[in-house]
Amino acid sequence: MSNTVDTNARPAVTPDRTPARDFVAGLWLIVTLELRQRVRGVAWYILLGIFVVLVAAVTVLLWLSTTAWETGGGAVFSAVIFFVLLLGTLVSPALSGNAINGDRDIGTLATTQVTLISTGQLVLGKFVAAWITALAFLAAAVPFLLFAVTLGQVSPGTIAVSVLVLAAEHGVIAAVGVGLSGVVTRPLFSIVVTYLIVAALSVGTPIAFVLLGTATKSEQTLTPPAGCHDPATTVDVPRFDRYWWVLAANPYVVVADASPGVFDTSGNPQDLFGWIAVGVRQAQVAPDLQAEVPYCNSTGQYYGDGKQPTARELYDNAVPSWFVGLGIHLALGAGALLWAWRRTITPARRLPTGRRVA
Amino acid sequence: MGSNAAQGITVTGVSRSFGSVHAVRDATLAVPPGSVTALIGPNGAGKTTLLLMLASLLAPDTGTITIAGHDPVTDPQAVRAAMGWMPDVLGSWPSLSVRASLEVTGRMYRMSRPAAAARANELIGLTGMEALADRPSRVLSRGQKQRLSLARALVHSPSVLLLDEPASGLDPAARVALRELVRRLAGEGTAILVSSHVLAELDEMADAAVYLADGVTASAERVALAGASARSWRIRALDPASLEGGLRASGVSGTRTDHLGTLVQVDNEAAAADLLARLVGAGVQVSAFGPAVGDLEHTFIDLSRPEANGGAAA
Repeated sequence: MSNTVDTNARPAVTPDRTPARDFVAGLWLIVTLELRQRVRGVAWYILLGIFVVLVAAVTVLLWLSTTAWETGGGAVFSAVIFFVLLLGTLVSPALSGNAINGDRDIGTLATTQVTLISTGQLVLGKFVAAWITALAFLAAAVPFLLFAVTLGQVSPGTIAVSVLVLAAEHGVIAAVGVGLSGVVTRPLFSIVVTYLIVAALSVGTPIAFVLLGTATKSEQTLTPPAGCHDPATTVDVPRFDRYWWVLAANPYVVVADASPGVFDTSGNPQDLFGWIAVGVRQAQVAPDLQAEVPYCNSTGQYYGDGKQPTARELYDNAVPSWFVGLGIHLALGAGALLWAWRRTITPARRLPTGRRVA
Repeated sequence: MGSNAAQGITVTGVSRSFGSVHAVRDATLAVPPGSVTALIGPNGAGKTTLLLMLASLLAPDTGTITIAGHDPVTDPQAVRAAMGWMPDVLGSWPSLSVRASLEVTGRMYRMSRPAAAARANELIGLTGMEALADRPSRVLSRGQKQRLSLARALVHSPSVLLLDEPASGLDPAARVALRELVRRLAGEGTAILVSSHVLAELDEMADAAVYLADGVTASAERVALAGASARSWRIRALDPASLEGGLRASGVSGTRTDHLGTLVQVDNEAAAADLLARLVGAGVQVSAFGPAVGDLEHTFIDLSRPEANGGAAA
């Protein structure tokens, strides 16, 4: 067999080639390679099976318990969405957190980098593959979401928005995982750091929100209404309104707040997501530091009109916090991928200590 | 693409350090198209670092590199389209078959799907992996992975080939096949740089050699000097006693005898030819007469001696 330079083997130039097409073709090649390499294994299917069994069990149990409470599909739906998010955040870092440094360890990163595949194609391709892998879990949960819909009380809009936001959140975790795998040299560390970031967002944000809000207090002067001779009093009030964005960065809050709010006639939310959204948006309201008390202690007279803003009014008047939260997440994911791209680019100029190119 | 002087590999005054470790200090070499150059040096001399820079993976701190007329730092895409690299680390996608690995690599070079499949088939034949073509690469032995790695470096018919320890792990038959393949590729105009420790192997493969010690390529004068220094020749005769007498009669001293024959220090090839003529003239029945070590090994060992480095590499 001859090894003469044959024209077929040279990068063939065909008329319909453009840089954009080449970029997408190379990107998709990396995605398919990644899926063939990383995903197509018995272990992955077993994991998916366990996931389906768990979601099914949660759905059935929720359904049984909520029919006992005579509520309906809203609670089941919210809970299943949260459960899918929980399992996704638990599985995704393990599947994406060694995408780049794992390849370096088995020696396939450099052999890809000497081809015409660019660093951008490599990093983005690995991200898309990790995202697709995570979306498979979401897709497996969709039948259970539809089942919750059949129970009533959930609008198609809520379903669509929730699934889309959930998909975006999975993408963010995939991006953070792949990004860190390009930044951290050892696969174990990058996976652990990805888990820590997921934990910081899921658990850390409510803790930080409460601590920050209560630690920074303002003095509120409560003046009695006109005609009342009560002395003015001062109290310390927590300033949660300065830190609501911390809570907004919680993925559960993002998913809950993004679903269109459904309220009953008295302005109360209809489902779990609605209550969370109202609670989070309430935090945006700054306390009135020169408040007038509608009640006079010395006379026992009540001056107020008895009107409190309803949950619906609070919800409608606030900044949609999911937008802020998702924005923070997208910036985090994009930043991680950009950082990985910078660290993986070849020819490499500066190498972190202990890292080999190949 | 023309065949001007800028084709092949040229390296001028290249250095690269990792923190305080100066892996390559001053490397200068040229590999013209259609030739095989051996890159030789002790462990840790900077061979792999130099090859990584040539493979467009590592940027040099100073100096310039051109591969097939392009600078790997400013135009890595053009370099990669023309350059094949066989790394010293055997990396392969574990779950992909040999055939699929080669097809994927071809498509990474923007070949069409049918072209990549045809090329994969061709390379499987070229490297003698027909029986392994559909096995996942994780079950391959070291030598088989080595062949896959070589095939992968050839996927896009590169005009510059960088081989880092290509012979390690290969059985003798595969070594011969590798040597023949490398010579044929050079005959077809490929510029090939081979690093290896198996110097005897390189002797038969390489047109030229570059010696790298402590990150510095030895100058041509030093190589010539080292190559011309006195070396051992091994002589075997049917009757060892008559050989001994013949050598004494020729005034050769400092001989040493091992199980393969008698080792004699001879200054140069002319002196060796002279000695042979005298031995034969004295009636010694010489059955073997040749240098005890290959040209490359002789030069390598001579250059690796501390005094040859002017005492710099203590």
